[in-house]
Amino acid sequence: MVTNVTNFSRSGLYDWMAQRVSAVILAAYTLFLLGYLFFSSDLSYAEWHGLFSSTGMRIFSLLALVALSVHAWVGMWTISTDYLTPMALGKLATVVRFLFQAACGIAMFAFFVWGVQILWGI
Amino acid sequence: MLLSWLDKSLSSEEGFEQVKGYLASPLVKLVAWGLVSALLYHLVAGVRHLIMDTGIGETLEGGTKGSKIVIGVSVALILLSGVWIW
Repeated sequence: MVTNVTNFSRSGLYDWMAQRVSAVILAAYTLFLLGYLFFSSDLSYAEWHGLFSSTGMRIFSLLALVALSVHAWVGMWTISTDYLTPMALGKLATVVRFLFQAACGIAMFAFFVWGVQILWGI
Repeated sequence: MLLSWLDKSLSSEEGFEQVKGYLASPLVKLVAWGLVSALLYHLVAGVRHLIMDTGIGETLEGGTKGSKIVIGVSVALILLSGVWIW
């Protein structure tokens, strides 16, 4: 079995599961927010701010943030290992793929920290 | 983009009004609609994958049928979201 150090975990199965679990969390969060926005007519700042101040929403949002980071990492890792291959790029592939994954990792972490800061700052 | 809107809209009353102002402009609405459309398609296709994980729709026929359903549902949701945003 090819051992791989850049994937999210020890085994592909763990990634596969993390991808599904994070997807379900994100689907629930997305549907909740879309529903909330859809059914709230003339949303006021107080109401919007109140929503994100409630502990329940904070927990849910933080959970979604973590799920987003996991989902994005596993997804982009899968894409990069599918397409940035020696067949496509020759001997450059490894370097290009590594830089791509590093960029994705940094972006993912930055968004996560930014999200936490927003939730924290309320 | 969404994070920056969330950041600004939660920061203060003025920030909230500012974001509402952004959303009034047709260009911003188009970008938002594009984003929502991509998200809706990804969501619908994702749900289909979860269904396939249970073994349903894994045959050749099941696969093509599933794809058609995904496209149909996605187009419908995208149009609805368009009506909602515009």
